[in-house]
Amino acid sequence: MTTTLNRPAASSPAPAKPALTFRQRLNVFDMKASPYLYISPFFLLFALVGLFPLGYTFFVSLFDWHLLKGQGEFVGLRNFQEVLQDRFFWNSLFNTMSIFLLSTIPQLIVATAIAAVLDQNLRARTFWRMSVLLPYIVTPVAVALIFSNLFGEQYGLINNILESFGFDRILWTNETLPSHIAIATMVNWRWTGYNALILLAAMQSVPRDIYESAAIDGAGVFRRFFSITLPSIRPTMIFVVITATIGGLQIFTEPRLFDPRTYGGTAAQFQTTVLYLYEMAFQRQNFGKASTIAWLLFLIIVLFGLVNYLISQRIATTGDGRGTGRGAGGRRRKRSPAPAVVLPAVGPQPPAPAAEPAPDLAAEQAGTPADTTPRSGQ
Amino acid sequence: MEFSRLRKITALAGVASLAIVASGCSGGGSDEPASADNPVNLTVTTFGQFGYDDLYAEYEEQNPGVTIEATNIDGSANARVDAFTKLAAGSGLSDVVAVEEGWLGSIMEVSDQFVDLNEYGAADIKDNWVDWKFEQGTDPEGRVIGLGTDIGPQALCYNQELFEAAGLPTDRKEVAELFGGDDATWETYFDLGRQYHETTGKAWYDQSAFVWNSMVNQMDEGYYTADGELNIEGNEAMRAQFDLLAAGTADGLSANQKQFDWGKGKAFVDGSFAVHVCPAWMLGTIKEQLEAAGGGPETGWDVADVFPGGASNWGGAFLSVPESSEHPAEAAKLAQWLTDPEQMVKQSAAANNFPSTLDAQAEIVEAAVPNELFNDAPYGEIFASRAEGVVAQFKGPQDSEIQENVFAPALKILDSGEGTADEAWSEAIQLLNDRVVNN
Repeated sequence: MTTTLNRPAASSPAPAKPALTFRQRLNVFDMKASPYLYISPFFLLFALVGLFPLGYTFFVSLFDWHLLKGQGEFVGLRNFQEVLQDRFFWNSLFNTMSIFLLSTIPQLIVATAIAAVLDQNLRARTFWRMSVLLPYIVTPVAVALIFSNLFGEQYGLINNILESFGFDRILWTNETLPSHIAIATMVNWRWTGYNALILLAAMQSVPRDIYESAAIDGAGVFRRFFSITLPSIRPTMIFVVITATIGGLQIFTEPRLFDPRTYGGTAAQFQTTVLYLYEMAFQRQNFGKASTIAWLLFLIIVLFGLVNYLISQRIATTGDGRGTGRGAGGRRRKRSPAPAVVLPAVGPQPPAPAAEPAPDLAAEQAGTPADTTPRSGQ
Repeated sequence: MEFSRLRKITALAGVASLAIVASGCSGGGSDEPASADNPVNLTVTTFGQFGYDDLYAEYEEQNPGVTIEATNIDGSANARVDAFTKLAAGSGLSDVVAVEEGWLGSIMEVSDQFVDLNEYGAADIKDNWVDWKFEQGTDPEGRVIGLGTDIGPQALCYNQELFEAAGLPTDRKEVAELFGGDDATWETYFDLGRQYHETTGKAWYDQSAFVWNSMVNQMDEGYYTADGELNIEGNEAMRAQFDLLAAGTADGLSANQKQFDWGKGKAFVDGSFAVHVCPAWMLGTIKEQLEAAGGGPETGWDVADVFPGGASNWGGAFLSVPESSEHPAEAAKLAQWLTDPEQMVKQSAAANNFPSTLDAQAEIVEAAVPNELFNDAPYGEIFASRAEGVVAQFKGPQDSEIQENVFAPALKILDSGEGTADEAWSEAIQLLNDRVVNN
């Protein structure tokens, strides 16, 4: 399949130079076509598992489509119209944003602090560095189970402690903000160490002599941290922010398991958009609308990606911290297993080039599968 | 040359795939009976407390060549998602699938995807079951797509210790009388609750949604009319029951527990509430909860032969064989064997549920095995008596959705004291419109 697709384009210039031997022609072919052949598996695979489901999801979103009864009549954009007027959709967006902010901001601050501490000369540093990654290895399901015990309303550990000190119980699942905090805590617990390690890697590559000269000039620890460390790790910071954004917008496992009997609380107090999508598909059995939500979420993520891209491009051109983001690698985090409905933003990501990580990563992360096509145009 | 070869290959591939499709379609009826020479793997999916493990082993022993691969899903809600996803995908369903009464309505909408068990002799054993149970498993065209396993006639669980502390009678016969015996009403139930609350300051029931479910289940027509029309808005009888429940909850009778969670069972041990609606299968659920919380017979739970508002059934399951099964004959044979009265007695002993076949019911009543966890209550006799007069209510396609995602959230407003009966009812109507009418 691959070869037949690429061969004609490559062999067409050959007749123009009849002097070439077969071997030379083969070399020309090799030069021109091989790179495409080498990268083609990714694109073919991506077309199969990324682009096609994305397109098909859009197709489904144009129909009345029942989970069990299958395709119904064509309704055009009516599903989009209805979803945009649906209070639960906006509620889910609000919850997603709220949990995202509650998790990302404290997480990054704490991760940076941990990274700064780990960057010092510690005894048994590998031990400490590996330890902060431990929560990341625990499966989200186990995390959710443990934390929902902690955050139980009537029998949870935290409320028991509060009550023994004479405070009121906090309604962790019935009130909106407490439930968001509870879920954000799970997310933070799991991801802070991971981000700390990435930031640590960036900090490690900041040249030590800058610190030395700053110290000689009389800069204190905090001054050195804010004036040298932070600006130097800016590209990596941007990478971390972007991956956290995408992960945060797709949060599913934690709210799903925080109260497994409902889809994000009795009154959807902590129903995120992906969870709403899941409920629409498998509880309400409306596949058409579920696909619509998937597409709207996809568009929102693309929008966030673009904003991130613009901001990071500005910062990358004004900042001077180039090449410091090596630790970031191209690893992309995925917060939750993709729900069974085709979600736009799942797909293999090629590793990012080490130099100039910020703009490239931005494009990639803005990516999400479908965006790999526009990527060729930049 | 190349092209013509390619075309030949394509043609061959086409024929082959057609043949596969054709054989797939005809594969259904022609499977050979299993034997030692013709081994057959049967997959079975159940949920919650089914009590089938020993029966699988027994069946494998009696039928050489049959191997049963069983999956048990932790609850009916998850089993529903599992079954629906696989139905939608068109593959992956087990050879025998357990279906809950609550989502049977949805399954009925695609009943053609399930084997008509009449082809395997279901009609001949029709009289095994209580008549309404067999009818529930029959689709509008008369195809039998589910064989009943258990039913959920409702009795009233109560806690002796708590009753004693509140100065109420503790003997289960006296308790039945206390609630009004055969003429027990919800009014008495709530009045007793108020009395209990005044004496002890504690809640009467765990949360409103279960009480509500019981109330709706015993109406002639529930969320749907018998013709399949939605029957909620403007339904004054239903609204009256809702107000009755709302008034009780407003008086502090609800412990505002999380259903099917109960603080990992602790609420059954620490005296949070004193009565609990108990469809037969609930005894298994409570047992599980007590075990999780470290409670035993000494916690004082008992079950009385009485139910407010008269006979009521809540839940119960069916065994179905999907069309996608590769061994429908073997699967139907297994489903029939499992739902045979003889096996139902064993199932009931293992899972604490109540059988849907008459012979099995009679046998359980006669054996009169006491339920140790419930103060040695003769549960066979009690539930057989509670099953009398049950009328099967028509269950519409969205019945479980309405119960779990329309009324449960609305009743939670009452339980947590955040709204009045009117506000809760109008929230229910709004949720109904959002989730069911305009879905």
